[in-house]
Amino acid sequence: MGQPDHSLAALRPLNEGELIEWEEAYVAVEAYLGALRIRNRLLVAELVRGILWRASARHAKEPGVSVRSLAMDETLKEIAEWTKQVLAEPLQQGRLAARGRLALLLTDMPGQWQSVFLTPEPWPPAFVESMRKSYLKAGPQFAALTMTPRPLELNAIGSGAAQWWETMDRRPVIRKMFFFFLLLLLVAVVLWFVLGPDIELPR
Amino acid sequence: MDSSPSHADSGPPTGIKPYTSLFTAGVRRTIFFGLVFTINLAAGIWLFDLYDRLGMHRAHGLILGLFLLLNGLLTLGTMHAFIGAWDFLRGRRRAICITDLAKDKTGPLTQKHVVVMPVYNEDIVKVCGRVEAIYRSIEAAGQLDAFDFYILSDTTNLDCWVEEEVAWTNLCRRLDGFGKIYYRRRRKNENRKAGNIGDFVRNWGGHYEAMVVLDADSLMDGGDIVKMARTMELYPRLGILQTPPKLIRGGSVFTRMQQFAMRLYGPLFIRGLNYWQLNSGSYWGHNAIIRVQPFSEFCELPALPGREPFGGRILSHDFVEAALMVREGWEVWLAWDIVGTYEEAPPTLVDHLKRDRRWCQGNLQHMWLVFARKFPLPSRVHLFMGIMAYLGSPLWFLFLAFGTWVAWERRKSDLSDLTVVSRLFEWLDKLAAWVGQWPSLKPVVTQLHHLRDLTLKMTTNDQALILMGLVATMLFLPKILALIGGVLHGPTRRSFGGAIPLILGVAMELVLSMFMAPAIMIAHTFMILGMVMGASVSWGNQTRETDGTGWGEAVAVHGPAFIAGVLWTALALWIGPSFALWMSPILLGMLLSIPLSVFTSRVRYGQALKKRKLFSIPEEINQPEIMTLADNAQAAVDAALTARAAGREGVIAAVVDPYVNGVHVSLLDASDPDEDHSELAEKMLKEGPGALKKDELANILYHGPSVLAMHRAVWSRPFDTLHSSWGKAVESYRIRTEPDAV
Repeated sequence: MGQPDHSLAALRPLNEGELIEWEEAYVAVEAYLGALRIRNRLLVAELVRGILWRASARHAKEPGVSVRSLAMDETLKEIAEWTKQVLAEPLQQGRLAARGRLALLLTDMPGQWQSVFLTPEPWPPAFVESMRKSYLKAGPQFAALTMTPRPLELNAIGSGAAQWWETMDRRPVIRKMFFFFLLLLLVAVVLWFVLGPDIELPR
Repeated sequence: MDSSPSHADSGPPTGIKPYTSLFTAGVRRTIFFGLVFTINLAAGIWLFDLYDRLGMHRAHGLILGLFLLLNGLLTLGTMHAFIGAWDFLRGRRRAICITDLAKDKTGPLTQKHVVVMPVYNEDIVKVCGRVEAIYRSIEAAGQLDAFDFYILSDTTNLDCWVEEEVAWTNLCRRLDGFGKIYYRRRRKNENRKAGNIGDFVRNWGGHYEAMVVLDADSLMDGGDIVKMARTMELYPRLGILQTPPKLIRGGSVFTRMQQFAMRLYGPLFIRGLNYWQLNSGSYWGHNAIIRVQPFSEFCELPALPGREPFGGRILSHDFVEAALMVREGWEVWLAWDIVGTYEEAPPTLVDHLKRDRRWCQGNLQHMWLVFARKFPLPSRVHLFMGIMAYLGSPLWFLFLAFGTWVAWERRKSDLSDLTVVSRLFEWLDKLAAWVGQWPSLKPVVTQLHHLRDLTLKMTTNDQALILMGLVATMLFLPKILALIGGVLHGPTRRSFGGAIPLILGVAMELVLSMFMAPAIMIAHTFMILGMVMGASVSWGNQTRETDGTGWGEAVAVHGPAFIAGVLWTALALWIGPSFALWMSPILLGMLLSIPLSVFTSRVRYGQALKKRKLFSIPEEINQPEIMTLADNAQAAVDAALTARAAGREGVIAAVVDPYVNGVHVSLLDASDPDEDHSELAEKMLKEGPGALKKDELANILYHGPSVLAMHRAVWSRPFDTLHSSWGKAVESYRIRTEPDAV
């Protein structure tokens, strides 16, 4: 536990602005560790302190960069580097950070391995094995089958209707004329029904 | 275990004895359709004779034609229940049931099967709950090794997408289901559900002998799934095995009424359907098991001539897939004895009609297939029944309209009601003379003469009442038969909560469904008119739960029915009180459509009925284990991995949360397209996800490096350079300590 090379004697007084900046950085790192579901306060405090020391060292070299950005940059870098070592995998297209976080989740780091998180080697073999085996398999290997639609075989009525229908789709003028004709026919039928002769059935 | 089945040819295996002979099928179909035809013809002749006696009107021919069609459909439905009841009475041992093949069979399944659940913008936690229940249920049946599970997402809502990834990950973590439960989301959901299943078959179908196709609201008992899979293995001619799903979890009056009706009357119809369709059954789109190889070979749907709504892509794929399967010699059966098969229903009449809009277009597209070659007759009957389920409404409307017209003309013309002698008198006389040629048939001749004399005395009023009685009998016979059976059969009676709730339930269902029918008729008529005008339907996700229909929405949906009701009532009263009385059930239904729709949508009234055991179903009174498993399912929910926490839901979580981000990026295709999304990502960071168009947001979410870069940015940049939503999300993780805590 702790950082033996950083005694309280090394502390220097911070001005109000610096205090606010470092408070923000602290809160951000702490929140990120909270987002990783690390719940042990002592552990969180230790990790935050270690990360902030490194951010402080960088801040001395990069005074133009905000403290919070440096602290978070260090946090993300530290986690990515550490998981890279645990997984013993090369960086693949910048996705290792995601892969590492996923491995932490599937290994149940927050529940079972909090104390191991970000610690140097050697790690418990069970933890390492679990980390390296963790993966997301959304689908198995393809086992393809072909699905080709067979043409719809219509009888004479169907074929005729299909031809006519597609002609109307291609030519809106014909469609309009057809519907106009249908409307006329409907009106004619209605008129015949209303005004036409009565029906006499032979007996 | 054979994980990659292969078939020698495209047809079903030869040399295996069919489960039923062609002769049996022929006899049963002749009996069934012969009864339908005879009853309908007799009713048609009766009506013709009545019109003839009253004096033919120009509209009578049309009414007669419509009557034959509508009464035919009514008779068809009633005969299903009647024959179903008869099949019940004959006893279980004499009934034909395909799953009897798997009866008393044990031992491990020999082939690999898969359970597929397509989802489309659903509540994924509930969906995963159902998957978990089925998974555990199959595990309890001891056959988990034979099954894989797929959640096939066609989700378009990006928040839902992230939630699905998270829920699936949690599900796999809890059930140790990695490599057993799979998740796939299609980037483009072409051809809707049929395309979704098709995509699965094309990519992974080769691993499996058969697939159990579910819906997002489906639930099936593991033991029953195993039984179905075993039947598939034991009967290689079987292409599709459909189960009759029961409606469950109804909260509103409307849903409870539906599930009660389906649960009580359904078994009769199902048995009647199985009686004649046998091996040429239909597929209803879910809660069925399908042999993958023939499905892949024959069931890719062809495009219909022309454009939507009547042409283009087939919307209602299920009936067609079954017809294509049967056409190629594969058998499609209805597993009527499978009890552990469930689904949920739309909660309100309005939601029911919204779903009907899709089904209506889909079913009417099947008109093309009626003219397709090589389809066997039972498949054509299924397609025809599907079409008429919707086309029946405008025909019924026309029937009523013509009837009103005739009554109106009669009222205007002041015609006397003097009638002529029934033609039936002459026909029966001729028939008696013809039968009289055979002396041995003398008793028949005597009876015919007796009937002839009766027709001579019969007034037109009597004749109309007899016809009305026949139609009413046809309408209510299924319900009466089911009620009698339910009350007399002890276990059934007790499972519904006793005789009194059963009788009251049937009475209430009868009244409510009678009053709702006209509103549905008008709605369907408008749907079809809309289609004729060229309006096509979009693919909406189904509402599963709601707090009821608002008055505004009810007015918007049922306004036409109400207006038609007002006008029609005025006309009917002008024609005469007697006519208005005849029409009153229909007119009241239209006038009450709005309040009826609102009140039946209310869950609180549904719960009040539940307390009194009204509209109760056996699954409510004695909950099956699979439902309990689904109720208790929690595997998909974990506070350590969530995309539903306040302030960081869905897309926000995918960017901000380290684990959700890890899951999301890890599930993306590793070969990122070489595209620069930095400008869009910057816009998203500065203006929030809402500032991007949906396709822009989707493109970013598909690009792993962009999602990772945004994760880094929201955590390290000063809040004043980001949109407030990111700041809020980051702040939500802050470990808060009380300032005064010591």
